[in-house]
Amino acid sequence: MTNSNTLLKVSNVRKNFAEVVALDGVSFEITSGEVVGLVGSNGAGKTTLLRLMSGVYRPTSGTVTLGDDTPVHLMRDSLGVVPESTGLYSRLTAWENIRYHSRLYGVSDSVAWKRTVKFAQSLDMEENLSRYTKGFSRGMRQKTALLRALAHGPRVLLLDEPTAGLDITSARTVRSLVNQIKQEGGTVVYSTHQLFEAQQVCDRIIIIHNGVVKANGSPEDLITTTGCESLEEAYVALTQEKARMRFEDNKPESGVTKLWHKLFRPKTPESEEALVVSSDE
Amino acid sequence: MNKSIHRVKTIAKKEVVEFVRDWRTIVAIIIIPILMFPVLFIVFPILLESEAAELDAKNVIIEIQYNQYPEDFAALFNQSSTTIVLVNTTFNQSLSEPMADFDRIRNMELDAILRLNYTDDIWFYSIIHLSTSESSNEAKARIIDVLSQFESNITAQRISDGGLDVDSTLDPLRWDGDINKSDVATEGEQAGLILSLFIPLVLAIWTFSSAIQPSIDMTAGERERGTLEALLGLPCTRNELLMGKWLGVATITSIGVLLQIVGLLFAIGYLATSDFIGIPDLSMAAVVLIVLSIMLFAIMVVALELALAMRSHSVKEAGSILGPAIILIIFPALFTQVINLDGIESFWFGIPVINILLALRELLLDRVIVEHILIWMISSVVYATLAAYYAAKQFKREDIVTTLS
Repeated sequence: MTNSNTLLKVSNVRKNFAEVVALDGVSFEITSGEVVGLVGSNGAGKTTLLRLMSGVYRPTSGTVTLGDDTPVHLMRDSLGVVPESTGLYSRLTAWENIRYHSRLYGVSDSVAWKRTVKFAQSLDMEENLSRYTKGFSRGMRQKTALLRALAHGPRVLLLDEPTAGLDITSARTVRSLVNQIKQEGGTVVYSTHQLFEAQQVCDRIIIIHNGVVKANGSPEDLITTTGCESLEEAYVALTQEKARMRFEDNKPESGVTKLWHKLFRPKTPESEEALVVSSDE
Repeated sequence: MNKSIHRVKTIAKKEVVEFVRDWRTIVAIIIIPILMFPVLFIVFPILLESEAAELDAKNVIIEIQYNQYPEDFAALFNQSSTTIVLVNTTFNQSLSEPMADFDRIRNMELDAILRLNYTDDIWFYSIIHLSTSESSNEAKARIIDVLSQFESNITAQRISDGGLDVDSTLDPLRWDGDINKSDVATEGEQAGLILSLFIPLVLAIWTFSSAIQPSIDMTAGERERGTLEALLGLPCTRNELLMGKWLGVATITSIGVLLQIVGLLFAIGYLATSDFIGIPDLSMAAVVLIVLSIMLFAIMVVALELALAMRSHSVKEAGSILGPAIILIIFPALFTQVINLDGIESFWFGIPVINILLALRELLLDRVIVEHILIWMISSVVYATLAAYYAAKQFKREDIVTTLS
């Protein structure tokens, strides 16, 4: 049943890459003003789901819609996306990176600048807006990518592991910004594999494991439903089957590539006769 | 529509700005194209000239071995930089056998030995030298000059002794008047002919090669740096993205090609007199068609390079594919130079790459032949469309964001 405040709706989505099923039967809704965490191990399908929600991928079956049941790829100007890699151009300044995206969103430079300055204050980034991003630390890059995603005033902010690789202070600043957006009524989808972080930031957590939604509810609900004492225990209980490899790490090889790799595949120590330790030793 | 144009322009502008901010790019697309031909045509000949002058002034030691010494023979040598050593001897073997002189030449005691054996009214000779030594080669060259003069003198003397006129006997066939006046081609047409020999070649090779780096940087490079995913999440379509990038690469490539031609024309203008090359006589139709043919070629080449680079798994792989692919341009470009344009069969104007190169050659000669134009124009539009379609197909692939190295 669709809530009247539903902003983003994922309905029975399946996503295949060749024979690999990356996501299967994924359904959930996100209402306006919510901060929702996507939690799962590497290869669970979080990034694939975020790419479906940002319109980069199209579902093999099912739908991802925004607002009035419009397919999300037609509503990309309502989204703000921060991919895991941040995606900044090193030969542009922070502001030029932000302005480039804003212009492609069709937002005027003055509007984008006002919004950027507002959020840059929260992230302590004002001084760095005119600097080239080449020398930026991981934290500064992440903050710039956040500013870029916010500059055009998106209805939904999609964050793919925004605190991965950040130092404690930077991670805390990013979480504070998410809280600020939440206070202002913004909607955020926050992918992470840090349960502690999800518990701190999110109103609701969706646990994905091997491409399937295992749980969907508030942190308290998850603990109660599983009968566990902590969220970590609840997560372990819900994701007991062995995690699969990431699709990118386990991509099928073509015949020629397979043959080529076979010719030059390095041997493991066990296969080297000289390295085999005899039973006497 | 306006939004779409705005996005394409924004993408292209950003690509150019980002590319130009790398100083290596400035060197590659501005400095090298401007300097390449002037260095080749101006600095290199100056260097060669100074080396030649140095060799002229160099003192070489030449030994002349003879059984009969011709009168005033040594006077034919430049006495200031040549030391002559005369040795009277007899010859029992072939003159070309170095024999005992082998080590003397190899050890550079002498630069060269001239052997002269006069038998039955004929001067037999040989020059013992070391071809890997510059001074030995210089000595050999000086000996040959002198021998040539010596031979002319003997020939003239013998003709004269036979009671014939030397001048009319040696030069019985002569051009009458100014040879340049007999060519009915105008100076402009001649200039067009000279330009048609290298402009198409330079355009084709440089368009392809200077588009490689930006094409890779804007596709496989974007993917490797992780910027592509952020871009794909924006509200622009993949076609807008492709067109923006195409425009960016085409702008950079055009600047490179234009500057290279400027450098080339400057070098030729500096080196040669105005008689050597002037301004080609081109009609407005030929000029428009030249620009159109280059544009069609650029559309095809840049789209193809963008597609191949986007299809590659990494920057390294894209480089390995696009680098050797330049052969696909070089071979047809060289081949096209030897095709005879007079009475050329029309089918040549339908073959990819060759069609544009031939079109450029014809147009630079101001030959506007409707049948040829229609064939190269239609075939080029087809090839450019196919290349653009292939590029669009690559850009629309979902896995372009995940095929990381």
